[in-house]
Amino acid sequence: MSEAQGAPLSGSIMVVGGGISGLTTALEAAEVGYEVFIVEKNPYLGGRVAQLKQYFPKLCPPTCGLEINFRRIKDNPRIKFFTLADVEKVEGSPGNYNVSIKLNPRYVNENCTCCGACADACQSEIPNEFNFGMDKTKGAYLPHEMAFPARYVISPQIIGTEDAKRCKEACPYDAVDLDMQPGTMDLNVGAIVWATGWEPYDAAKIDNLGFGQYPNIITNMMLERQAAPNGPTGGKIVRPSDNKAPESVAFVQCAGSRDENHLPYCSYICCMASLKHATYIREQYPEAKVYIFYIDLRTPGYRYEKFYGKVKEDENVEFIKGKVAAVEDGGNGRVTVVAEDAVSGEKVQQTVDMVVLATGMQPTAVNAKLPAADLKYTEEGFIINDLEKGGMFATGCANKPADVMMSNQNATGIALKAIQTMMKR
Amino acid sequence: MADKYLVQPDIDFINEIRGTGGETLKKCFQCATCSVACPIAPDRKPFPRKEMIAASWGLKDKLLPNPDIWLCHNCGDCTAQCPRGAKPGDVMASLRMMTIREYAGPKSVANALSDPKKLPLLLVIPAVIFIVLGLITGLLDFSPERVHGGIVHSEFFSHWLVDIVFVPLTIWAVAIFAMGLKRFIGDIHKNAVSEGKTDKQGIEVKGFIAALIKVIPVILKHSRFSECGENNDRATPHMMVLFSFIALFIVTSVAFIMLYVFNHHGPYSQLNPVKILANVGGIALIIGAALLIKQRLDKTDEVSTYKDWYLLWLVLGLGVTGMLTELLRLADAAFLTYLFYFIHLILVFNLIAFLPFSKLAHLVYRTVAMAYNEYSEREVKKA
Repeated sequence: MSEAQGAPLSGSIMVVGGGISGLTTALEAAEVGYEVFIVEKNPYLGGRVAQLKQYFPKLCPPTCGLEINFRRIKDNPRIKFFTLADVEKVEGSPGNYNVSIKLNPRYVNENCTCCGACADACQSEIPNEFNFGMDKTKGAYLPHEMAFPARYVISPQIIGTEDAKRCKEACPYDAVDLDMQPGTMDLNVGAIVWATGWEPYDAAKIDNLGFGQYPNIITNMMLERQAAPNGPTGGKIVRPSDNKAPESVAFVQCAGSRDENHLPYCSYICCMASLKHATYIREQYPEAKVYIFYIDLRTPGYRYEKFYGKVKEDENVEFIKGKVAAVEDGGNGRVTVVAEDAVSGEKVQQTVDMVVLATGMQPTAVNAKLPAADLKYTEEGFIINDLEKGGMFATGCANKPADVMMSNQNATGIALKAIQTMMKR
Repeated sequence: MADKYLVQPDIDFINEIRGTGGETLKKCFQCATCSVACPIAPDRKPFPRKEMIAASWGLKDKLLPNPDIWLCHNCGDCTAQCPRGAKPGDVMASLRMMTIREYAGPKSVANALSDPKKLPLLLVIPAVIFIVLGLITGLLDFSPERVHGGIVHSEFFSHWLVDIVFVPLTIWAVAIFAMGLKRFIGDIHKNAVSEGKTDKQGIEVKGFIAALIKVIPVILKHSRFSECGENNDRATPHMMVLFSFIALFIVTSVAFIMLYVFNHHGPYSQLNPVKILANVGGIALIIGAALLIKQRLDKTDEVSTYKDWYLLWLVLGLGVTGMLTELLRLADAAFLTYLFYFIHLILVFNLIAFLPFSKLAHLVYRTVAMAYNEYSEREVKKA
């Protein structure tokens, strides 16, 4: 966009987190003329959305939406982004914050062309966090095939080993730089937007649902990775114990959600996610049976209701009103889920090939404290926005559980709030 | 369940549940975790999820005549796993107390037992009865003689006086139970039929008695209680208390027969098998009751109501005063042993007279409900 129409430029904005919310806030602010810094802890931008196979309810791949955003970032000189970066210190007040950022080494410079020679040369493997540890990557790896920036990473785990040297020697472009050191960078910004997002709730904490105890009990995000074409199984949904195509899958809604013993709130997306997952399974396996155990299905709004209605028409998808509260060994790798069908008042014991726990979102800030002292949090760890005070804001799932659409809307509004902080200066 | 059911919410009933231990009731959002968490709920129409919604709606007629509230052993597993802190276990306990009140008359006695302010009255009444009756009949002697130099309690409080009071009292308790149970059994059957818990058409006496005989070992062994998770450690002390009561009941019966048939007076020698049984029973009663009290005090996430405490302290009091009476007699402390004997009898009066009204009535209601459940063939898998 043209400079002439720009607003009075007095200060820049730091966005912490390069997921869909952070990208949106950054782009909206930058495209009205503000300088924006995106600080992302991962080696790539795109956050949780990059892990999805499809968005609901349109069932289109998220990569197209992300690609447009990445294009906009590339085209906009006012956006600077830092990957593998952590905010270490924040001091100051609205309109004037001094921020220290730690830049962790990637050990790969701009020369990288993603040829993959380093990964081929590397012998050791590390768990693939992007796929929730369901597979492994080499010590030199591309986080995922759509990664932006499109550049390999050398894991700190292999630094100092022979493997690292092999990677360096293999690179035909002199892109591997094993001498990179962690650096710090100081920024002065007028406003900070925390778009720190969410983490899947740790399913192992829900001890009555058997995650970690039975290999064929997985989480909804694990299923999402399985179903994604760039996932650990190349898009095939299989049960982990024997890679067999599941003939039946049970979804456990509210796994650790709306539960005082775990997350007391509703994560908003899990009902729609499971309905979407039912479509993945039914598409791959026309004979497969899907059982969705729920307390109540939350599909707010016209479009989501319509989506629910469509899935409900499928005769192979059965809905049971009653939360799964116990799991048992069903023999041959199968799992039996136990619930009370609250409509018939009978106990249901359903044995299935695979169980998917629809776990909720936990704000990232719960397990990784943010370095800004004057942020206020809800009891559950979501950041409370003090719009009157301004200066610092939270957007997306750092603020409340939300789907992609709501996150985008919220992030756009927060961009305006950040700009208003600068105007008051 | 009938196709049509006119819901008639009873707000007072809801408030009453909430006021007697079920405060958290309205937090329930019907996820049905509790019915699965419960280790003893049957597969066919499990509890307590359906009781929670009926209670939220104030459907008294679906709850008080409901055998399922008695199948519940207050394990606390449902409460521990409840995602909302609705504490179904506490609601079920509250419903049981209300059922006891519902089926036992006269209501004035039932109400007095629910009111802590009436406790002094409940203790004074037997004292007054003992003294007045004793003075009129001359069976209470405040300056008792020693027999062969030893203390004999019947010189102070004649066994005739004991029996004049306690025999009619026992008859009263049995009569109240009988009247309550007649209604109760009919009601629980109607409830079970209407909720589809049984295919039986009516209650056939022979079959019911057979079922009762079948559940007695289950009760004695605490097989159901032992399936509990959270409150599993209560099973052993509860068993101690139950067996002590059985032992002391046997001791009392033997003494009664020995006295009236063989004219053999106490006190018995410490080596007498009956005496040994009495001592073991008394000690087990104290230990069991003390453990149950301790467990209740330690368990802060579960509500303990006045009725729970009344019974537990009564049981402990019975054990302690009984053993003290004996020990003080052996220590030759005449005044003290008579005093504790008197207090002991006041407590025994409370136990027997208020048996159909106090929490102890669970002894009868739970037994009947478990027998009915067995009889109803609810847990027999349909072919």
